[in-house]
Amino acid sequence: MLTRKLGIIDLSKGKVKITETSDSLKKAFLGGRGLNSHYLYKMLKKDVDPLSPSNVLIFGTGFLTGTLVPNSSRFNVSAKSPETGILGDANCGGYFAAELRYAGFDRLIILGKAKKPSYLYVSDGAIEIKNAKDYWGLDTTDVQLAFKKDLGQAEAAVCGVAGENLVRFACVRTGVKNAAGRCGLGAVMGSKNLKAVVAKGKQGIEIAHPEEMLETVEELKDYLMGSKITPILGSVGTPLLYEVSNAFGAIRTKNSQLNAWSDTLNADVVETYVEKMIGCSSCIVHCRHRNTLGGEGPEYTALGLLGANIGIENTAHVIELNNICNELGLDISSSGTILAWVFELYERGIIDKKMAGEKLRFGDFELAKDLLYKISRREGFGDILAESTRNVERFGEESKDYLIAVKGLPQSDPHDVRYMKAFALGIATASRGADHLRSRPTLEIFFKLPQEARDRIYGKGVPGDPTSYKAKEKTVYFSDNIFAAIDCLGVCKFICHGFNSPHFVDYTWMKKLIHATSGWKFKEREIEEVGKRVIDVERMFNNREGISRKDDTLPKRYFDEPMPLKIAKGHHIDRKEFDKMLSRYYKLRGWDNDGQVKKERVKELEASHEVPVCLP
Amino acid sequence: MKYLYVYPEKCTGCRECSLACSLKKFGECNPKKAAITVIRDEFNRYEFPLVCFQCEDPVCLKFCHQNAYSTEDGVVVRDEDKCISCRLCAVLCPYNTITTMDGEIIKCDLCDGDPVCVKYCSTGAIQYLDETDELEKRRKEMAEKVLAISGK
Repeated sequence: MLTRKLGIIDLSKGKVKITETSDSLKKAFLGGRGLNSHYLYKMLKKDVDPLSPSNVLIFGTGFLTGTLVPNSSRFNVSAKSPETGILGDANCGGYFAAELRYAGFDRLIILGKAKKPSYLYVSDGAIEIKNAKDYWGLDTTDVQLAFKKDLGQAEAAVCGVAGENLVRFACVRTGVKNAAGRCGLGAVMGSKNLKAVVAKGKQGIEIAHPEEMLETVEELKDYLMGSKITPILGSVGTPLLYEVSNAFGAIRTKNSQLNAWSDTLNADVVETYVEKMIGCSSCIVHCRHRNTLGGEGPEYTALGLLGANIGIENTAHVIELNNICNELGLDISSSGTILAWVFELYERGIIDKKMAGEKLRFGDFELAKDLLYKISRREGFGDILAESTRNVERFGEESKDYLIAVKGLPQSDPHDVRYMKAFALGIATASRGADHLRSRPTLEIFFKLPQEARDRIYGKGVPGDPTSYKAKEKTVYFSDNIFAAIDCLGVCKFICHGFNSPHFVDYTWMKKLIHATSGWKFKEREIEEVGKRVIDVERMFNNREGISRKDDTLPKRYFDEPMPLKIAKGHHIDRKEFDKMLSRYYKLRGWDNDGQVKKERVKELEASHEVPVCLP
Repeated sequence: MKYLYVYPEKCTGCRECSLACSLKKFGECNPKKAAITVIRDEFNRYEFPLVCFQCEDPVCLKFCHQNAYSTEDGVVVRDEDKCISCRLCAVLCPYNTITTMDGEIIKCDLCDGDPVCVKYCSTGAIQYLDETDELEKRRKEMAEKVLAISGK
């Protein structure tokens, strides 16, 4: 369990060093996202160009990844983001992370830039830097098939053509659809001339208490399978959320000019395109749709952002765009947000045909498809779109008013957060920009949740009304902490307490799983402390890059334009109330009123966890 | 007599069966060191749990020159004391259901009537059931499918 290694690879020098993360550092951050963020903070200096060789790229598995623990398939890819210029980090499932651990490694830290296209081959305790001449230029499925042909049953995390061409929202992909999607980490791979990390191994993960793990997991599995939510996620997947959100009028539609869209994207229609539901490594939920159009998906995100947001109703067309993004290695959230943004800017005359090269409009499948290809190859207008939110400079200050992004990151999920105030605070404060997977308190829309359950989870005083600002900082604070902890463990948020359910894996379950695996005795409070530590270190990284209170805000439209349709009609975010909620959040977090981590805390975190990193 | 029956159409590929097997038998989590293996390829779109069919006329038993194999109550078992780890059984098994790793020969023994893999499967893709004519027919069909996949 605790014998996996840390590989440090300097691509410029062509050197590899194999070392270890100390137990004390693992106790402070466990693994996954936490250790990645810690290493990034320690190893990067302020103002590094994210696409330069000075950026540091980390693939880190979770503390429980690759074990019998349900849904322990996950790893995080982290670097300074070329899309936002702040912390870049994305969590991903599939089979790669487990394989990396079976190959003997917890984590790979990649430095420099290879002279020619390369890939890393990680196998049974060794790391080789190999020539990727024959793999460069291949789409994400083709390159993985080529690796399987050449190297046998290996698992690979790759960048697509978009990553090679430094598209600022290129993703890292593994398998048919699993993506470390956000923050443009595929472009960081491209900038390092790194096509892939390929892992193949047969080293088992030693478990401190095998019988205890068998018993605990059996109990946990029965508990999770007994919930109403698990079988729904396993048969319908995330498209379930589309109809629910649409009923509220909380679906980002046509760049949030509207807030509700067509029933043709409801889960029951999507289901007609599903051949089989499959799972990631160790997954008991199995929410992945193997679709009849040759790929996997769509998730709720794709339905919203490649459907409603760009004005497309046809289900097959949305699935096709989803499959195309996956093949090219583009992040679906950013793709759908950026396309919708420029479609509106064109309608408003802020950009013209001369710049776009053609007429832009919502609802045009062929246009959207063509633009995705052009973005991935940086051809024509695609070359401009590939710069993502940085185009505010090119399109002019007014264009910013219509951009649905925070801190330069296009909003991830299709929720129009004007209705749900806690969701709004969550995307305003998330450490990588506008993203729901850092802290979305989904329970906000569980109207039937008894008040005592809400009090037990978040502490007293949070009303069961999503439109209220009252005490909503508590829901974001709780969610931020526990989601960070589960990201450190390498377990999927789908079974995390407070994400999709008021039950599921809470700190007590985490404590039991950590003990069975490693023999380490954590208290519930100490695991929560790990989560808090991660949030603080990520904020320290962002503070160093100049992030402060002024950046913890929302798209202008969310403040100034009331929602036009359905139950949410008339709702918007009140600036004063938002501001007060933000101050309360900082106070709860122990940050100062400008959103800076306090000096004492910075000192404490910097001093107590020195990095034992020796460069090769 | 109860046997393991596999339902590939229900298999999601997750490998909890293999992980539980390796954990119970070897105290580690290793899907490659288990008596049950999920043959999976998400690009070619299949998942198939592969486990010893407890053949009526087992090749492993027939060709073992140490007579390490015997059939006890319908279960093909290997006597570890007689076995010299030559791996001939693994080479000859037409279904590739005998795994070898780190000098170990790994073959399903149905966990003395309480197979651990079944407990951790969340979809019923592996079931431990009393044999019936219909199930036996299915088991033979599955064996043929495996041969088709493995090309033997």
